[in-house]
Amino acid sequence: MNPFTLTICKDLAEARGACVDGAVYKAAGIDLVDRLKERKESLPQLVDIGRLRKDLGGITIDAQSLRLGALTTLHEIAEHENTASRALRALREAAGEAATPQVRRRATLGGNLLQRARCWYLRSAGIGCSHGGDGPTCMAREGENRYHAIFGGFDCVRVHPSNCATALCVLGAEAEIQSGDATRRIPIRALWPEHGLAALPEHTLEPGELLIAVHIGRDVIEGNSAYREAREKASFDWPTTSAAVHVAIEDGVIRAARIALGAVAPVPWPCDDAAKSLIGKPPSDELFASAARAAFKDAQALTHNAYKIEQGQAVLIDALRAACAEV
Amino acid sequence: MKREPVELTLGFLGGEKKVTVDVAPDDAPHWDLTTKFTQVGGEHDRMDAIAKVTGRAKYAFDVNLPGLRFGVLARSPHPRGKLAALDLSAVAAMPGVRAAIPLKEIGHQVRFVGDPIAAIAADSLDQAKDALARIDARYELEATAPIDLREAEGAPALDAAGNVTSPWPEKGKDEVDAALAQSAHVAEGTWSVEVQTHSSLESHGAVSRWNDDGSVDVWCSTQATFGIRQGLAEAAGVPVDKLRVHAEFVGGGFGSKFVPGTEALASVLLAREAKAPVKLMLDRYEEHTCAGNRPSALMRIRAGVDANGKLAAWDWQSFGGPGFSGSGGRATHVRSWLGAAKSRTEHVDLVTFTDAGRPMRAPGWPQGNFAAEGMLDELAQKAGIDPLAFRLLNDGDELRQHEWKLGGERFGWKERVNPSPGSPRDGESPRILRGAGCAAATWGAMGGAGNNVLCRIHQDGTIEAKNGAQDIGSGMKTVLAILIAEELGVSPSRVTVTMGHTTDPVGPASGGSTTTPSLAPTARHAAHLAKQELCERVAGKLGVEAANVRFEAGKVIAGDRTLPFDEACRAIGPNPIEATGRRFRNGAGYKDSVSGCQFASVDVDTATGFVRVTKMLAVQDCGLVIAKKLAESQVLGAMIQGISYALHEQRVMDRRNGRMLNGDLSWYKVAGPRDVPEIEAILVSVANGKNNAGAAGLGEPPSVAAPAAVANAVSNAIGVRMRSLPITPDKVLAALASRRASKTEGR
Repeated sequence: MNPFTLTICKDLAEARGACVDGAVYKAAGIDLVDRLKERKESLPQLVDIGRLRKDLGGITIDAQSLRLGALTTLHEIAEHENTASRALRALREAAGEAATPQVRRRATLGGNLLQRARCWYLRSAGIGCSHGGDGPTCMAREGENRYHAIFGGFDCVRVHPSNCATALCVLGAEAEIQSGDATRRIPIRALWPEHGLAALPEHTLEPGELLIAVHIGRDVIEGNSAYREAREKASFDWPTTSAAVHVAIEDGVIRAARIALGAVAPVPWPCDDAAKSLIGKPPSDELFASAARAAFKDAQALTHNAYKIEQGQAVLIDALRAACAEV
Repeated sequence: MKREPVELTLGFLGGEKKVTVDVAPDDAPHWDLTTKFTQVGGEHDRMDAIAKVTGRAKYAFDVNLPGLRFGVLARSPHPRGKLAALDLSAVAAMPGVRAAIPLKEIGHQVRFVGDPIAAIAADSLDQAKDALARIDARYELEATAPIDLREAEGAPALDAAGNVTSPWPEKGKDEVDAALAQSAHVAEGTWSVEVQTHSSLESHGAVSRWNDDGSVDVWCSTQATFGIRQGLAEAAGVPVDKLRVHAEFVGGGFGSKFVPGTEALASVLLAREAKAPVKLMLDRYEEHTCAGNRPSALMRIRAGVDANGKLAAWDWQSFGGPGFSGSGGRATHVRSWLGAAKSRTEHVDLVTFTDAGRPMRAPGWPQGNFAAEGMLDELAQKAGIDPLAFRLLNDGDELRQHEWKLGGERFGWKERVNPSPGSPRDGESPRILRGAGCAAATWGAMGGAGNNVLCRIHQDGTIEAKNGAQDIGSGMKTVLAILIAEELGVSPSRVTVTMGHTTDPVGPASGGSTTTPSLAPTARHAAHLAKQELCERVAGKLGVEAANVRFEAGKVIAGDRTLPFDEACRAIGPNPIEATGRRFRNGAGYKDSVSGCQFASVDVDTATGFVRVTKMLAVQDCGLVIAKKLAESQVLGAMIQGISYALHEQRVMDRRNGRMLNGDLSWYKVAGPRDVPEIEAILVSVANGKNNAGAAGLGEPPSVAAPAAVANAVSNAIGVRMRSLPITPDKVLAALASRRASKTEGR
């Protein structure tokens, strides 16, 4: 591991000024520390915010919204009473399916949303690629790409690795960001670039900016949501395709709907047209199948991942069924 | 040595046979089916279980010595070429660096990404890794470096579906052709398997220390303490008697740890150069890419059955992908089906510029048996016979016939097999298809002579046993304690067993499932000799005939006196009784091999392609069952590893630059707790009479059946023959799509 300075922050004020000159925030460090130990990255300065749970932890609910502090662990999200409503089930399920019980008890929401892509070319010590900044091209496109993107992979076919991101996209969440002395709120989708180009960073935070919390509006807390994923193993595996759905149903008719897909694009992949096609109609398997077809209409398979198109539709249909189920 | 005939009752309960075997007069009397045991076959716990789960057990990786330095290996980043220049001078000048040694000569070939070229030792692992970046190595590269077996020189022609299309070999072809022509049903196909890595939890490596007296101690993660000693002594330039290997605990080997390997050799050389002990353990990426693997294979079979469903023709051609070594990639299978069938076998190993294959738990068998058992199911289906009935019809192995029947019943085969593959059961959702599969196991591990076990009885009634071979996790220490305890009529908790030091009596490499059959009779003989000596002492003290002294239930019974064991041991005096047991050669017995069979059932989600194994059962014999829990654990472990091989494990290589892409345990997928179904191992105890304990090997045979049973279950569920491992969801979806397409065509 290359030497680095570690600043351990005692309060939020300290964290605000600490992250300058190429410094990087570290929360649980689940992946960051591995990357350092494996020498895949060399970072001169880490700013540890792991102890700021008073400011950045916890799941609270008030008249306007549900607030998930950036240091909330995935385990807390999956188990907390404040996420127990049917509306938040997508988030609860997404957090509960991630990684292993051990990791979920340590990994934070902020780290999960802002984690580095898992592309095995990006992370290969001996292979350079355009997104890694050490090669001319995307190596996965013509290489081994069974786990790679079928959407939006213009010049880089990595997929976004966060389950929670997919879920939050359908919950109309907002990210609260500390930028200098000010805070601002942006729609959660704006936390990632619209197109996951090779040259772009994986998220839109500027250096020194810190994700403080994620807010979910009260209006959303009214509906139903669900998250489903397909993977190769039941224990500790990444999804090969995943889908999150939020619907509001009144008098047997879908009044509002949001759909997002995971593990299929360099960014969490919203499917607004497919969601729109549900509105004003009563839920049915035919409707779900047609929405799934619409969601995957523009999918483009690489050499080894055509299966994602069929599998992704099945997963989306499952999520729609679960969200619209009358229980 | 002269041997005497003895009549024994051998076989299994319900299949007893009187057999006359020849035994050495000095040996402990042979056990057979009539023997009544007090310890053997009981539910004993692993004696070092607590030490292992609490971390008290020290593996080579845990060895820490004063002044320890850390070693790393520099490796070729290219799959194929020549080392043109190597300059370590900048490295030697780096802070903390204590030694830098070239390992490959200029002009020599590099044969895979990871081929070692130099070794470095430094005060910290970080400093050693820093130094790696400063090595100046140059290479002359070859234009091509085939990475996949299918692209190797001499690879067969394949069609788009991956089937071998090259002509069948000429030699002997006419006879097979004739047998196929006369068959009532024939089938043909190509099966393929990918490279599996051993994925031992403890990686390869060693800690080496040169002592002031010129001797060398090496703590090594190995499955052959005596075997690697020779190679290490040679590398160190010391006589073998000056080098000691220690491996008290080993974190898995599965066949990859028979040789010292560059890592252990380098640790010895670095320790001499650095004048300090050096630890060199591989990291996980190196463990996947530089420490051996189960080779990939393409296997092509054409076969036929007669009108009665009996196998009539069997033609086999396989291609192995054992990496740069170009050997050791043979794929093979259970052959007790063949009976009078006209059969032929051909195998070719191809060279790829990847790490060389090494033996892995039943080398060649899981891959070959996956193909063979798949073909059996295919033939059964064509002949309209249930897969299990087909096996009962064709299997010439008498013991396995018993096991098929027992297992089929206990597993609930009739309820679990899908009578109409590809269709849902009556009233069930068409989305989830269920099916079952079965497969056979065999192995020929009866162990051998040339091993000794030391047994001491002390005057306080404690017992020591020692052997220099390693316990790689099978539970050998527990096995030896149980045997000695049985012989002396005491509890195994009295026996302290030490293994893994080459200063102790010689023992085998843990390979070919021979450790237990080699050492169990030896330990028993040692206890037998020690007991005789103890009888003499007790008899002398009490003034009775030695022949009238018996050991039972922790007591010593001498004529009309009964003494607790410890009290009897007071006759021993300060110097313990010490006996060295021998391993007499195997005699004739019941059978020279072990048999087994396994059953698996699966649920396949036809929408996502996900396969869930729902139940698995093994019926396995291993001669005399000594430590029941540990024996079952061996079988269960092989079944889990088999599920993992069938559904998950594959080395993914980038074909352009020869690097492994999933060289970790996140993307190299190994079955975890939620992937393991309800799982059961039924052990069939067989008295084989081949040695005094009747022990046989168990490590490998259950590996032979497991992947094939799982694969056959998937095929039975979805109605498409799955001919490529691992059966990942994408392959399931593709198979289902091809089935839909062919159905549509059929209309």
